[in-house]
Amino acid sequence: MLDKPQNQTADNKTGQSRRSFLKTSFGGALLLGTISVSAGLSGCATAPAGRVSAVGSRMNASYQFQFLSKDDIALFEALLPAMLAGALPEEPNQQQFAIADTLERIDQGIVKFGAPNQKELRKLFDLLNFAPTRVTLARVWSDWPAVTTQEADAFLNRWRSSRIGLLNNGYMALSKITNVAFYGHESHWHLTGYPGPPAWMVDSLPQFQNA
Amino acid sequence: MSTNDPIARGLASGWNVIDARKLTSNQTVEADVVVIGTGAGGGTTAEILAKQGLSVILVEEGGLYYQKDFKMDEQASYAALYQEGMSRTTADGAIAILQGRCVGGSTTVNWTSSFRTPPETLTYWSQKFGLDGLAPESMAPWFQGREERHTMAPWQTDPNLNNDILRQGCDALGYSWQIIPRNVKGCWNSGYCGVGCPTNAKQGALLTTIPGALDNKAQMFHGLRAERLVMNQDRIDHLQASAMGADGVTPSGITITLKANHFVVAASAIGSPGLLLRSELPDPYQRIGKRSFIHPVNATVARMPSKVDPFYGAPQSIYSDEFNFKHGIDGPVGYKLEVPPLHPGMAAGVVPGHGKGQLNNLSKLPWTQSVIALLRDGFHPESPGGTVTLRDDGSPILDYPVTDYLWKGIRQAYLNMAEIQFAAGAEAVQAVHLDSGWYSNWNEAKAAIQELPMKPHRARLFTAHQMGGCSMGSNPEESVVNGFGEHHHVANLSIHDASVFPTSIGANPQLSVYALAARNSVRLAQRLTAKS
Repeated sequence: MLDKPQNQTADNKTGQSRRSFLKTSFGGALLLGTISVSAGLSGCATAPAGRVSAVGSRMNASYQFQFLSKDDIALFEALLPAMLAGALPEEPNQQQFAIADTLERIDQGIVKFGAPNQKELRKLFDLLNFAPTRVTLARVWSDWPAVTTQEADAFLNRWRSSRIGLLNNGYMALSKITNVAFYGHESHWHLTGYPGPPAWMVDSLPQFQNA
Repeated sequence: MSTNDPIARGLASGWNVIDARKLTSNQTVEADVVVIGTGAGGGTTAEILAKQGLSVILVEEGGLYYQKDFKMDEQASYAALYQEGMSRTTADGAIAILQGRCVGGSTTVNWTSSFRTPPETLTYWSQKFGLDGLAPESMAPWFQGREERHTMAPWQTDPNLNNDILRQGCDALGYSWQIIPRNVKGCWNSGYCGVGCPTNAKQGALLTTIPGALDNKAQMFHGLRAERLVMNQDRIDHLQASAMGADGVTPSGITITLKANHFVVAASAIGSPGLLLRSELPDPYQRIGKRSFIHPVNATVARMPSKVDPFYGAPQSIYSDEFNFKHGIDGPVGYKLEVPPLHPGMAAGVVPGHGKGQLNNLSKLPWTQSVIALLRDGFHPESPGGTVTLRDDGSPILDYPVTDYLWKGIRQAYLNMAEIQFAAGAEAVQAVHLDSGWYSNWNEAKAAIQELPMKPHRARLFTAHQMGGCSMGSNPEESVVNGFGEHHHVANLSIHDASVFPTSIGANPQLSVYALAARNSVRLAQRLTAKS
């Protein structure tokens, strides 16, 4: 009775044809699906990284990555200094530790996303790790380990301001995952002026006793 | 652990609760009724049926978390208590979906706002969908009963400043505002409702109807996903369910077969249509998954001259219905104005940004105030809602196109919210939109918001209220169940959750779900006990 054909977002009617292909999840999924297959065939690391050596990476060698691949880790190591500019410690060792910690929490968070959303993220990360799509869609010319903070920031701004909804969505996914993993953690609450759960509650609630 | 905790005490006293993640062999179990979902609808149903002496099995996909687990930690809670670890969105990714996935469902993580279904909405349903039995005067006793069961009452303590700013702004502009009724008992006014109430004050399903059902010999499986209702001729014979593995999200391979005389689905407005679609139940008019509503939410943030501390204090205590029914029930879209709590993870995830700009915004969190508008979708031909379908792997996904009609309301709501914040003394206001800067006065905000592109992804949208997808109505050609939640085509199937709403509610929906589930469960109990 009240039903009508869907998708009448007429705000977008102008110049819609090219954009709408990328915009709809169908077009997006189709495109990204192709990339995931190509990325796997071309030797991109898409398997979970498992334990990462502590040497050089500052990683906690006992942490077992369950979702992020070695290439994903390289991607985030390049993006995080731009994503968290001003918020990361300046001292290089400290900064690497903070990045490594955040990567672990990103990995832990994604595990709880469940299979369907993990699949979507896998497509996004593969798109960014697979050189031909990294160049054409992200316009990032070098491999991620060689990308400067300035270049990473420029990439994030391009995707944020793009008129292509799918790229905005990619920006939101990358920034949301990072922001929640970083600012949501106790060790960074002070940056937001959040004092944490009130001490008088922690002191009186049973779940905080004999921990 | 405290022996004062009712869940810990119940488990110690021998409640029949099974963590399916720990099962190592397949099982078949049987009861009079299997209830799928333990939220507002499932909990209410299970308690009422169990108290009538019926044997009940509750099935919950999420885990059983209670006071011992509620440590006021955003990351742990979002990962464990929310659907898809808080990453659920609509199909195109443009609308973030906040929804519980745990024993108690969304009532374990909601912000405790407890509204009756607006009489305008009930009257509209009776006129448009043949739901005469749900007229306001018929529903009043059911609302009252559930208000008592869940200790709902207008909040007596002063609102926190985050909420009070909404009141002040409305006062200054001559807009109406009211105090929100909350379902709490001995609330500490701490502000952590959204991460699992740490003090056992919140009277959601977890501390009311679930213990009520378990005390009356109901059995509960958690960590168990309802996969498929299997028919034998014209009746459902059993439910096929998969146990989750240790991570709580990946099936372990163990399956449980649940047999019953009657099945009640209360798996949410995304989960219930998903289950019915997976089960390929009779749907001659293809109504399953259609007309899904979400109260689309947009937001503005304000920088205030004094500290707001938006992370502390009862998260929602003031609302304004000034714009909810202003243009009648089915004119330009109406919206309710409320306030969200802002903890650092939530704030950093919701307000888009990166780099120094993001750090700068977040560093002012204690001075940040936010207002949200909840759009009343589904009352106009140009608001037909979204559609729940299945992904290749059988999991449900909601496609929700935002129509021009809704975009108009979203823009108008940005304007109203900014005006209210400036009227309450804001130094600067920003629309939560990728193209919005900080505006330093109302005239500047007004001009800029008029020009913001109203487009998916650019405007940041959210939903915490999922409704519809298994609509109720008197006409089987237009609905899935009748006004008692009874399936039009399968005699031993009822649906008792927000998925039956034929439109959105126009208010936070928990009391609407509790009341309708109570009414329909009393009738179901009479039917089933008369038979046996």
